[in-house]
Amino acid sequence: MAPRFPPWPAKPEHDGRDQRVAASAKRRRAAIAPAPPDAAQWTAAAATLVASGHLLPALAALGRAHRADPASLDLALRRAELACLAGAPDAELLRLEALTAEHPALPAPLAGRAILLHRLGRNREAAELLEAATALAPEDHRLDALLAGVLARDHRLPAARAAFARALAADPADHELRHDYGVVLLRLHQPQEARRELEAVRAARGDDPQLLCNLANATLCCGSQDEAHDIARQALAAYPATPLAHRTRLNTLPYLPETGAETLRDAARACAATLPRPARPPRFANARDPERKLRLGLLGGLLKTHPVGWLTLAGFECLNPAGFELVGIAPYFPADQLARRFRAAARGWIDPAGKSDTQLAEEIRACGIDILIDLGGYGDTGRMTACAFRPAPVQVKWVGMQTHSTGLPEIDWFLTDRWETPEGFAGFYTERLLEMPDGYVCYTPPADAPEVAPPPMAARGHPTFGCFCNLAKVNARVIAAWSAVLQAVPRSRFILKSHPLVDAEVAARIRAAFGRHGIAPERLELRGPSAHRAFLAEWGDVDIALDTFPYSGGLTTVEALWMGVPTLTLPGQSFCARHSLSHLSNVGLGEWAASDVADYVAQAAARAADPASLAALRAGLRARVRQSPLCDARRFGANLGTALRRAWEDWCRR
Amino acid sequence: MLATVGQDDIDRLCDRAAQFIASGRLAAARPLMNAIRRLAAPSARIAELSAVLAIQEGELDAARAELDAGIAAWPEHPGLYVQRAGLSRLEGDAAAAAGDAAQAVLLAPGHAHAKALLGTALLDLGRASDACACLAESLAAQPDNTLFRLALSTAQTAGGDPAAARATLREGLERAPGDIACRRTSMLIALQNGEYAEAVALAEAATALGIADALIAGMAGHALSKLGRHQEAASRYAEARELGPDDPYVRHLVAVSGAIPEQGAAPADYVRAVFDGYAPIFDTHLLGLGYRVPGLIRAALLRHSPLARGEPLGPVLDLGCGTGLVAVALLDLPVRPLHGVDLSARMLEQAAAKRLYASLHQADALAHLEADQATYAAILAADMFCYLGDLDPLLAAMRARLAPGGLCVFSAETGPPGEAPRSGWGLGRQGRYHHSPAYIRAAAARAGFAVLELTPEEQRQDFGVPVPGLLAVLRAG
Repeated sequence: MAPRFPPWPAKPEHDGRDQRVAASAKRRRAAIAPAPPDAAQWTAAAATLVASGHLLPALAALGRAHRADPASLDLALRRAELACLAGAPDAELLRLEALTAEHPALPAPLAGRAILLHRLGRNREAAELLEAATALAPEDHRLDALLAGVLARDHRLPAARAAFARALAADPADHELRHDYGVVLLRLHQPQEARRELEAVRAARGDDPQLLCNLANATLCCGSQDEAHDIARQALAAYPATPLAHRTRLNTLPYLPETGAETLRDAARACAATLPRPARPPRFANARDPERKLRLGLLGGLLKTHPVGWLTLAGFECLNPAGFELVGIAPYFPADQLARRFRAAARGWIDPAGKSDTQLAEEIRACGIDILIDLGGYGDTGRMTACAFRPAPVQVKWVGMQTHSTGLPEIDWFLTDRWETPEGFAGFYTERLLEMPDGYVCYTPPADAPEVAPPPMAARGHPTFGCFCNLAKVNARVIAAWSAVLQAVPRSRFILKSHPLVDAEVAARIRAAFGRHGIAPERLELRGPSAHRAFLAEWGDVDIALDTFPYSGGLTTVEALWMGVPTLTLPGQSFCARHSLSHLSNVGLGEWAASDVADYVAQAAARAADPASLAALRAGLRARVRQSPLCDARRFGANLGTALRRAWEDWCRR
Repeated sequence: MLATVGQDDIDRLCDRAAQFIASGRLAAARPLMNAIRRLAAPSARIAELSAVLAIQEGELDAARAELDAGIAAWPEHPGLYVQRAGLSRLEGDAAAAAGDAAQAVLLAPGHAHAKALLGTALLDLGRASDACACLAESLAAQPDNTLFRLALSTAQTAGGDPAAARATLREGLERAPGDIACRRTSMLIALQNGEYAEAVALAEAATALGIADALIAGMAGHALSKLGRHQEAASRYAEARELGPDDPYVRHLVAVSGAIPEQGAAPADYVRAVFDGYAPIFDTHLLGLGYRVPGLIRAALLRHSPLARGEPLGPVLDLGCGTGLVAVALLDLPVRPLHGVDLSARMLEQAAAKRLYASLHQADALAHLEADQATYAAILAADMFCYLGDLDPLLAAMRARLAPGGLCVFSAETGPPGEAPRSGWGLGRQGRYHHSPAYIRAAAARAGFAVLELTPEEQRQDFGVPVPGLLAVLRAG
């Protein structure tokens, strides 16, 4: 989603006739005085110099061209691009600043500076300059497009969405712009709109692996798992050697009812095999001292208010500072509360923006990371692919798209617990299992969570079931099971809450799916998104949470527990099928797991028929969670340190 | 690119520039402002916007030049007076601020902001009841303006009517329970008056509303520990730390409770970070908390220095000068030249804006003294020794830079009665160093000073509790 630049003209922009006219004019002028070359001539000279590999002289020529035509946006952008190619962005930035001072009312030099700043990782300043430029030239949609790209790269999604919409209104035929817009919509949890945009791009200009990957994700997030899987299959058929096609399949597989642990492991292995990696594994200079202080790298992912943040932060904060120090290797979100806590806990920070996997791996190695913990997987902001370059001697997979085994031979360990991977499950993983004595995560409850509400059953006279999961997890088998529960408990209601349900089309499809099992629409309440605190408060309307399968709830299950609502789960074999089981077991509610769909339905009905037990459980649940290992950050931090130390000692012995 | 520029375009560009400035996007506002100046003929609005931007950028001299020229060209434009009044107030010239604000009110009697500015300037001039009248009118015109409300409550407190101040704030919280600034101030006033249960109630109401604010949590922790509810206090401190992990003020607050481990000393970075984050509110905060040391230093100099005989004193070095509170206290005395040293660049900016120092240096006090070649008639250190443990190196360095007979005047904290170090020095639970009078006496003798005074003096109020300490006046032998 980088801002795009005008291509270099294959030949000088003017045709032969212009050249002849120019030459004759030049001859005429030459009789009087030597005429200075104009912008087009300097641009032509620059193109020639670029072609012959003389980048710095080319940059100088382009600078002359731009001085002759300072209003040209093309020239400003080419300058910025060439300055980066030539490795001289800082000097060019100063020259463009001088040009701005000379022509303060021209947007082009501002845009050139903005793109240089963007390339230097200074996205905030870049966006501000582009905002000034768009104010000066509101009719030039190219500036909006550049602004949108910079904002998206800076993870300022609502502002990016607005800029994309403006740019697209001016130029609806710009497919690449529309594609990037679709990605931003998807990140903003508007998968249905994203899907429409991406399908429009597909219809207009055909496929590529990136488009198919994004389209599959958007389709999945709308709750259309089979269609998403179809798109993934098409991607794999068309681009079998492309890692992205494999990643697309790997992203959809865990949500399908029939996917088992072995299928996931094999798909992950096939995906990992396509990743670029060095021919020979590198040697490490890290001292093989089992007892020394270790430097941990937290790779990729959203180290912020996000499941990764809520489930890992407290553990990292409570690592013994004498034994471990942290380096964040992820985008930083200065306005985010949890991001600031990560930053405060870390000794250093590496911003991966704009760095290739090789460059990133090089930087991680240079930083002397002993244990690299991947927290992003194949996700949107994840950089797990850099692990294939073996940047650290010990590499561990933890939360963050931790659906199942990564399949990467370079990932040595998989952080888990005895509920996620009981005896006999090791064969489902390509990594060695690094088992925690309690649950594999530690929860940071939000400081502003509302109080636990009284059981809604008491006020309403009927039980209310609910699920607040990502709609991607709600497949046909899950809807069938929920419908059976509603049939078994006659007056009961069901609240399904998920971002895409705000879209009428998605909501209608879900209602119809329940309708096919004979569930009247009035027994269903479909809810769209809300702010986090309001989201938590809505658990006050639910008596029992019903889990999804095979992909179970993660943070959602934990948050429901915090809000006094237990989740009934149906665990499977894969890692993502056992999240809820792990969290429930960690607070001593392991019996809330069903053995099969029939048992799931029977347990739901039986528990709904025992309001007294439910009310007692609800009343004491927050205190129980607070006192459980799930929220015991000190205990978790100590155990995490022991586990990581074990992985390190293993490497030292090799 | 604007081919032809009409007044509509200029107005639109000015609106955008104003939006950029208001939202703090200065890197967008600056080029746009430059473009506007190229495209448009000068106008009062452009002059006003340029000045506002310059103030935001910290270019105070440029802003003043812009406003002076603007007022000369458009003497009927109230906005220019409002901005110049604000600038004067920022630079500590309350009389000039009051004059400009009054002019703006004359030109635009309904201008609530001008009236409020007049009120705050009058408050600075010690005219609390006039200030209350102005601010009450501003607030009546804009009852949801939190800044007006906070200023009125401050004026009411200064005018000796804390009950009215509390009522003003209570009304604000009734109007907008989510107003964090109003709630913080209410809690601060409650703490200052020892109404700890009230402070806790304010914090609990915030929690019920879903407000998660580090300062509110931190102050709740203080109030709870004062009430002896230590378990709850600890959890509030932990909450404060979670909400404001990199906020140095919160860290300091929490360090006090022992919730995070103390360092062996307050490192230079720590001191710099605490005060950089704190600089804009430092004066009001310390003065509001009853910080008395600058006044004590003034009195000491008047007792022991040539000032007692009406003669000038100088040169004088102010170590840890901060925002320049000591310079303010010495404002009307012939103390020239006065030099300042501090670790915090932000603090020094505020000190520079006061224009009371001949020179200012960003440096560690000891390092500065060791590098300095000058000889001083007096060296002052207000509220600085609490960041140091062992005083020997600093006292020796101070002695080396003093002329024979020169004065060394400083404050130190002795710690609360139960915790005061019997001999020597120690790190208090407050995260600040305490020094016993005996230790200071001995250290002064080791450095070659004669002790003229070692007077127990309350330093300031810390959340309503007096901080015990002493003022030392030493003479170089």
